[in-house]
Amino acid sequence: MAIKQEGVLTISEFPTTFTLEYPYTRTLGPVIGPFLTALRDGRILGIRCGSRVLCPPLEFDPDTGETLSPDFVEVGPAGCVEFWTWIAEPSRKHPFQEPFAFAQVKLDGADTAMTHAVKAAGPEAMSAGMRVKAQFREERTGAITDVYFVPEGDARDVAIAPGEGEVAISTHLISLTFEENLYPSRARYAQGLLDGKFIGQRSPVNGTVSIPGKGYDPLARVLMTEADDVELASTGTATSFTVITPIQYKGQTETEPYVSASIFLDGADQALSMQNIYSIPVDEFREGMRLRAIFKPAAERNVDNVDNSWMIFTTGNVIERWEPTGEPDVPPEEFPEQI
Amino acid sequence: MRDVAVVSFAQTKNVRRENRRNEVEMLIPVVQEAVEKSGVPKQEIGFYCSGSSDYLAGQSFSFVMAVDCLGAWPPIAESHVEMDGAWALYEAWIKIQCGEADSALIFSFGRSSPGVIRETLVLQLDPYTLAPLGADPVSLAALQARALLESTDHSEREMAEVAARNRSNAKNNPYAQLTGDFDVDELLAEPYFVSPLRKHDCAPISDGATAIVIAADDVARKASKKPAWIRGIDHRIESHQLGLRDLSQSTSTSLAGEKAGAIDIDVAELHAPFSHQELILRDALSLGDDVKINPSGGALAANSVMVAGLTRIGEAANAIWDGTARRALGHATSGPCLQQNLVCVLEGE
Repeated sequence: MAIKQEGVLTISEFPTTFTLEYPYTRTLGPVIGPFLTALRDGRILGIRCGSRVLCPPLEFDPDTGETLSPDFVEVGPAGCVEFWTWIAEPSRKHPFQEPFAFAQVKLDGADTAMTHAVKAAGPEAMSAGMRVKAQFREERTGAITDVYFVPEGDARDVAIAPGEGEVAISTHLISLTFEENLYPSRARYAQGLLDGKFIGQRSPVNGTVSIPGKGYDPLARVLMTEADDVELASTGTATSFTVITPIQYKGQTETEPYVSASIFLDGADQALSMQNIYSIPVDEFREGMRLRAIFKPAAERNVDNVDNSWMIFTTGNVIERWEPTGEPDVPPEEFPEQI
Repeated sequence: MRDVAVVSFAQTKNVRRENRRNEVEMLIPVVQEAVEKSGVPKQEIGFYCSGSSDYLAGQSFSFVMAVDCLGAWPPIAESHVEMDGAWALYEAWIKIQCGEADSALIFSFGRSSPGVIRETLVLQLDPYTLAPLGADPVSLAALQARALLESTDHSEREMAEVAARNRSNAKNNPYAQLTGDFDVDELLAEPYFVSPLRKHDCAPISDGATAIVIAADDVARKASKKPAWIRGIDHRIESHQLGLRDLSQSTSTSLAGEKAGAIDIDVAELHAPFSHQELILRDALSLGDDVKINPSGGALAANSVMVAGLTRIGEAANAIWDGTARRALGHATSGPCLQQNLVCVLEGE
């Protein structure tokens, strides 16, 4: 847990939380498009497939894979429950936040059942073969969640005005939250940053030094421990850089061009990448420049953006600036080889 | 067809939360053990294939990170499936059949603990009609269990018996997570979790990793005293719409079993994350009472996602190696309600 102690953060486990979100936008095509358009307008469509009617409709015959012509049939709005399960403790992703049923519902006029939610008083109100009816929501967007089912007698009439145009696109935000502690090797690296030190790991097999340490040597395939930790100098060589000219997108905090550099700390075989440098004018920055990290005062350091990512490593918010040491530049042929 | 055999199998202990080691740290000892046990020199392994999903721990390209466990220098031939490792084994078997390799190491890893697995697995569903409902795997499995109970003679008692037997078997499996002796009457007295499923009908949430080495013909014979020969391997898939399937049966398992030659089986390791699914799989494969099911405890004792199917093939090989079986079956499943199924039939010399 993170503990604030006399203004200095000392941390033993480093809990991290990461939310992964993708706002999916999908075109719906010639079958799902009309199906979701109809839902928005308070109707449920099946599709003819030989002598059967499939609901939800598919673009193809599930037995042969042949494309189905868009021969839609209105089904329901009532039907029968084939199978059901009672969701006593809904999750935040479920259509209801109070107990409900998921069911296979075969609508009148359809030959296949649709998986959907049934809002009923309790599990005792549910049974195989029970009659249910579609209940359309007041606000409909052209999504499967525009409707749910209720015991047939409980259905309320809702006045539905058809929407405008065809529903051709669906949007679906997926959002997953991940919570875990930093791996031990990453936690020691983070603690080092808080302490104003660069902590890496030296391979016991070939002596290469990586920062942050991975907890293992990927070439020798050996595990490393705290005993393999090494403290690196706060001086190093810029071996590569780019100048970033900020584009003023929403959320952009930068206004002036700045340098983003890869810096090999002295003794490391792996660069700290994407070190933002504001204190050295862009036109004075050079590959081979010798630099020293000046850490922020202890109370101002944090490692909130250090996570377990294996691809992108940050140095937290602990470095005040990189300043030239004044030593002569290192010629490119003397740059260290990246492991 | 080339004769291909499983020549080694290694796994981590399955745990609810592995947070002292990252995926590569979990894999390094397992891969090393599989290579050492295989008898195939590391530098002679011709192909590597893994099964995993970035969504489990929320790490982009985690399968690329995982290559670190192989020591990929000098460069190696490597591939990956976003599926259970059993399908990675299938790809490796094809590669060997095509003559492009004589041996392969297959591994898989799954750390579900950082995320919420019931939410994560929703993302495998139809994004138009199912995913927006948050139709999680436990809820869908519960619909399947109800279909089984309503349309066959199977009972909730049989489901509890499956749960009790697997967890009792797992007492002998040092890699299992949920083990012990359970009284069926006491299990049936427990409340429903997601009806008609009770907690005991569901697999635990696990973190773990598995590695297997397979080898062809003389490479296998030279490396291993007792190769577990793959006599048949096949996988089949059914519709993503539950309404188009008879949920009380598993047509894809029956077909895969038929194509893989699943007869005269002594031991079957079935990948059934829910107790009723073992009943469906036994019926689908016509496994009688004389067949020993899941001596390892199966997925009800340890269910690392992306791993548990490959582990079933490894455990089937174990049954050949320890003499329990002359012919053993490893089964893997993927997708909601046993949507996709793989059957691998192994035989000793």
